Amino acid sequence: MITTLARLIDAPFDALQRRFGAARMPYVFVAPNLLVFGIFVAAPMILNVWYAITGGTQFMPADRPYVGASNFAELLDCTNHFIPATCKQDRFWRAVANTSWFVAFQVIGLVAISLLTALILNRRMPWRGFFRAVFFYPVLLSPVVVALIWKWILQPDGVLNAIVVGSGGARVPFLLDPGWAFSWTIVVSIWAHMGFYTLILLAGLQAIPADLYEAAEMDGTPHVRVFWRITLPLLMPNMLVVLVLALIRAVQSFDEIFVLTGGGPGTATQYIVQYIYETAFANQTHILGLAATASMLVGGVLLVLTLLQLAASARARGEAGR
Amino acid sequence: MSSLALRGIVREFGHLRVIHGVDLDVAEGEFVVFVGPSGCGKSTLLRIIAGLDQPNGGDVLIDGIRVNDRRAAERGLAMVFQSYALYPHMTVRQNLAFGLENQRLAKAEIDRRIAEAARMLQIEHLLARKPGQLSGGQRQRVAIGRTVTREPGIFLFDEPLSNLDAELRVQMRVELSALHKRLKATMIYVTHDQTEAMTMADRIVVLRGGRVEQAGSPLHLYNHPANRFVAGFIGSPRMNFLEAVAQGGSTIRVDDMPPVPLPAAAETSDGEAVTLGVRPEHLGFVAEDGLPGTVDIVEHMGGESYVYVTLANGARLTLRNPGQTALHSGEPVRIGISGAAHLFSRAEGEPAIAARRPA
Repeated sequence: MITTLARLIDAPFDALQRRFGAARMPYVFVAPNLLVFGIFVAAPMILNVWYAITGGTQFMPADRPYVGASNFAELLDCTNHFIPATCKQDRFWRAVANTSWFVAFQVIGLVAISLLTALILNRRMPWRGFFRAVFFYPVLLSPVVVALIWKWILQPDGVLNAIVVGSGGARVPFLLDPGWAFSWTIVVSIWAHMGFYTLILLAGLQAIPADLYEAAEMDGTPHVRVFWRITLPLLMPNMLVVLVLALIRAVQSFDEIFVLTGGGPGTATQYIVQYIYETAFANQTHILGLAATASMLVGGVLLVLTLLQLAASARARGEAGR
Repeated sequence: MSSLALRGIVREFGHLRVIHGVDLDVAEGEFVVFVGPSGCGKSTLLRIIAGLDQPNGGDVLIDGIRVNDRRAAERGLAMVFQSYALYPHMTVRQNLAFGLENQRLAKAEIDRRIAEAARMLQIEHLLARKPGQLSGGQRQRVAIGRTVTREPGIFLFDEPLSNLDAELRVQMRVELSALHKRLKATMIYVTHDQTEAMTMADRIVVLRGGRVEQAGSPLHLYNHPANRFVAGFIGSPRMNFLEAVAQGGSTIRVDDMPPVPLPAAAETSDGEAVTLGVRPEHLGFVAEDGLPGTVDIVEHMGGESYVYVTLANGARLTLRNPGQTALHSGEPVRIGISGAAHLFSRAEGEPAIAARRPA
């Protein structure tokens, strides 16, 4: 049975090898993957650059007039970059400001909570396997499902308000007040993603040899000092990975927040990827040039973050002396 | 330095009892080695002494004071781990200082102790390096240095040499013995290697299955093993064992081979089934009588030779001959007892019936 199958597969590859020669076979094996990468990653990236340096509202690349850097000029045109209202593309800058605040709070909260959860789940405790699964579970959910669950909780007549009203309080506009809505996008985003980062940190914690802790115990090291002087330094490589991945994904936040708040109320929870999406596809006029330019700027930021991560983790490895 | 006493130590993991009521006294300044095969409980016992593990029963006393409820750090001990357990992100100096900082010692005192330990262990030039930049032997020294700076009442070693290569192991063995003499400290050392036990110990504690089989000086254990297990575990090459039948108290018969005279009278009854134990250096070649056999292999060490012989009944013997021998494979020989013989009762774990030196 297996031999027959093997022969079936053998025949076409034999033919390929006869045609291309053994030396070129590696390229034959890589080709299918390269094809997918080319169509879905490389080509869109190149197209994106073309859209960024061309203008108009035409969709077909060939129909678009070349405009040089004028999309960049338009997007970056501000009297004061810290006040979105003074910018020509104020929605872009509002999204940038929103995203910056969101990233700052979300990443700090996410890393802190993931670390705390990992530390707790790393202890010997009853039902440990169950809790590890429970904390990871939201990662498996579709972002839309995440958003719908939380919408069900947070809407004016939702679960949370039922509890608030039931305990004698007044109904809270969780998703209708800008401050509340912004805070809840952070909470929901942390809830949805923390399982993944907890897992990375948990793996890091478990890689720290137990006898280091025993040596520290013999030395009478207080728990707090063990954490700051042993656990945290040895967890640093994992912390860096978590930090940068969380940063990158926070900048890219879109789907669950878009379904949860739609960017509202007003533009209170409109983040950069939503701006790009709406500018390119959702508004009545599709301003592809500006959207492409904005995504190039975001891409640039992410590139810098990634390089920082690579440099930092290389340094951390060097310092650990391993 | 401190003394240590164990009283009826019992340790169970679930329903499995791994330490069965161990009693032991270690005097101040004594170098005691726990030795035994894997799973004999020697490391568990050490961890119980250290305070890293709690016994299910029994008491640990240091200087006569019960310390069961004291945390590891409050027992005045320091431990060298098998893996060294050096903090990989700290320099050697930081590794040495870490425990002292916990004790809130003055900076000058910490520096003094580090300098002293570094000088003693010849690691002064390594203080700025990290463990990853050190060889196995250097890491070992740093791990020992870390315990020395603590100035503990008792040093604990958990198989500290097992990750080193053979040559370095011999060297570190000598250095550890020297360190013990110099510090005059109480040391408890765990190993599965009987050579380490023989060469370093003031007293060896042989453990098996969570029980003390015998405790005593290396030569006492070598010359007077309490039972067959100790006799087989201590000494290299290991003791030869033959199933035999006592004939009166002065000769012994192995199968239907000619009876062999014992070097001294034993307290056996006529016809009693026993195990005859003779160390390789206490067997010799004889012209007549003796056990007939054939030489399998001869190993020439130069200063001595190991001769492996198969007896007529299929049993194998190892002989250690001083000097060089002209014997070769296939040669017929006759073997007699030239030194001490030990008789063990057949029942497993039963004490030796007699262990006599020739008059």
